[in-house]
Amino acid sequence: MVSINAKKKDIKAVNEALKASLNGDTVHIVNAKHIHGLAAGLKEGEIVVQGDAGDYLGVLNNGATIRVTENAGKYAADNMTGGTVIIEGNSAYGAAQYCYGGVFIVNGDAGDFSGTMNKGATVIVGGNIGDEAATYMLNGDLIVLGDAGNNFANYLINGNVYIAGQWKSLGHNTTIEPITDEDIAKLLDYFEAYGIEADPANFKKIVAASEKPFYK
Amino acid sequence: MSVVGAFCVSVNKEACLNAKMPGKCATCVEVCPHGVYALDDASGEMFIQNYNACVGCRICVEFCPTNAIRINPAEPEYISRYPWTFGVIEEIHYKAQTGDYLLRGFGTHGQTPNFDMITVVPSQIASDAPRDKYREECEMDVVIGEDTSEKPMHLKLPFVWPAMSFGALSKEAKMALAIGAAMTGIAANTGEGGLLPEEAWLSRGYSDENSTHKEWEPGGYLIVQWSTGRWGVSADYINSGDGIEVKIGQGAKPGMGGHLLGAKVTKEVAQVRGIPEGTDALSPCRYYDVQTPEDMKHMVDFLRNATDYKYPILFKLGPSRPYADVAACIEAGADAISIDGLVGGTGCSPDLVTQGVGIPTIACIPPAVQALKDYGVHRKVKLIALGGIRNGLDSFKALAMGADAVGFGSAAEVAMGCRVCYACHKGNCPYGITSQKPEMRARLDPVEAGTRLANFIHATAEEIKILTMLSGHSRISDLSTEDLRAMDMNTAALTGLKLAGYERPLPMWEGGYSSISGNGRDGNGKNEAAP
Repeated sequence: MVSINAKKKDIKAVNEALKASLNGDTVHIVNAKHIHGLAAGLKEGEIVVQGDAGDYLGVLNNGATIRVTENAGKYAADNMTGGTVIIEGNSAYGAAQYCYGGVFIVNGDAGDFSGTMNKGATVIVGGNIGDEAATYMLNGDLIVLGDAGNNFANYLINGNVYIAGQWKSLGHNTTIEPITDEDIAKLLDYFEAYGIEADPANFKKIVAASEKPFYK
Repeated sequence: MSVVGAFCVSVNKEACLNAKMPGKCATCVEVCPHGVYALDDASGEMFIQNYNACVGCRICVEFCPTNAIRINPAEPEYISRYPWTFGVIEEIHYKAQTGDYLLRGFGTHGQTPNFDMITVVPSQIASDAPRDKYREECEMDVVIGEDTSEKPMHLKLPFVWPAMSFGALSKEAKMALAIGAAMTGIAANTGEGGLLPEEAWLSRGYSDENSTHKEWEPGGYLIVQWSTGRWGVSADYINSGDGIEVKIGQGAKPGMGGHLLGAKVTKEVAQVRGIPEGTDALSPCRYYDVQTPEDMKHMVDFLRNATDYKYPILFKLGPSRPYADVAACIEAGADAISIDGLVGGTGCSPDLVTQGVGIPTIACIPPAVQALKDYGVHRKVKLIALGGIRNGLDSFKALAMGADAVGFGSAAEVAMGCRVCYACHKGNCPYGITSQKPEMRARLDPVEAGTRLANFIHATAEEIKILTMLSGHSRISDLSTEDLRAMDMNTAALTGLKLAGYERPLPMWEGGYSSISGNGRDGNGKNEAAP
């Protein structure tokens, strides 16, 4: 096991140490809450952040598996294209925005604007998700086990939003569709893979009303 | 103010092929981007179905095989009927009929404050003697990111192609810009639509994917844009260029994000952008992943980090509050800042935004330069002026006002063949520049258009060299506002330049920039608030 103490280090020093340590072992990082952009743009590696993480954790992740044992700051897994980011606590504002691929899982709650402009990632929120979640989502899956805030999935264009709980209000260009056997099988796969206890049959499915809602 | 209704269309029936032989020629019907002409299906006769739709691009005139068409401006209308001109009336009718607002491609038209009322001051006996353009050298190179990046960008000439995306432009136009950059040693820019693979090697001068054959010397650079839609962006993408441009705004539609309508989102465009084919790609007006100035600093940090500190970080601003916006970019850690003026172009924008929103380019440059001076980074953090710059004369004036380089977006399109028909958004560009249709794209040869672009750049560089040397300098970084005079009160008021004849700035500028801005800065590069 490799361990990096990020205390009093800047992003350059920590990420240099991290890249130098990615040789197959899991790298543990402690005292990293002040680092914004930790583990940016990695293509491989297993990283565990002990405690809280700062903003932009795992930004541009393209293959690494990053786990945070407590909470993540704003914009976790921003612009991810591959790999996995797991937050065992809560993630703040704007988690998993602009992602093209990969899996983002937060066991607790996710903040406002999480999943915005998702273009292909799988985003799983174990608790509640805030307002304006999945705004202008163009592809991928967002799965919420708890409740959602206002303007949920506003201007959804493509992809699927599954939610077990309630939403305060639904955004524009959304419609509710019956959940299919295919959806249930897909959700079961996710739940099995990530040890989530939930019954897919309880989920509601939200999809786009139109692929082209802005201009005729 | 809409451009429609501003032109008179007349067809000489004596010369028109269709008039003599209905059904035999309908070239004007085919090429007009605005549907001025139509064909009667039954008789095969061409007729003018909407005179007022003409925008004066004269593409029909150019294509007419018998030179039968005349397009004449109806300027007197703007005197006799203003403000209720045909354009205004047509615009209201359009809205009343459709419930839609107007969209427009290209850029602003009509009179806005511009470089034309600034004159260049030549060197004579009382100043440094002129340099000899024909027999002496002139330094025109520009380095971006010298102190911050392992691989600074070393532009051979003080030009860039501003960001224009694949999607807004055709593949052939993007390839031509890359080739033009390679032939002249300047920088191409992906725009916000992802990376067209060919751009990566063509812009560096290589004709093959593996970059084994250097076809074009000296080879240029590629700036990859990081924007609010983040189309096609990944860790590999940001490492595929020679610099990263963080887009904040643009001149044609500041505060609005990007507009690429579904008609232009073909399979290939959709693939590069990573979105479904045919959907509108509307970039958000702001970054969803930036809420504070601190966030912006962190964004610059992680971009540098994810590129191993190799490449410079550039910012692009729309024309809003140039002093404060440039200061914010400096604070965020920019190596270069482009500021795009009111008349900056675009592939698609709401008409009223392109026409009526933003500060003119000439009024953006002085506050931007002042911010750089106040932070002690003028000429270090490079300033790139954009927005309606057409030639060496405009460029020289921007450089003398304190910019380090200039960009040509609209002018580059014209250099490739564009006739300015304002219909880039419709996807039917007859020259294949802003169309994704195979039959239109086939008309644009990337190497030929790239050569035209390179010729334009070389000619413009020579123009700047002439002006630099006749004003007594041998490098463009020595140019200053002393090399310019405003020729009218408005221009002197907007720019702080000395007024010709009066030989000093207008009284309100006598205390420097602070005297007009009220921000406490003394205008001499000193500022208690700045570091």
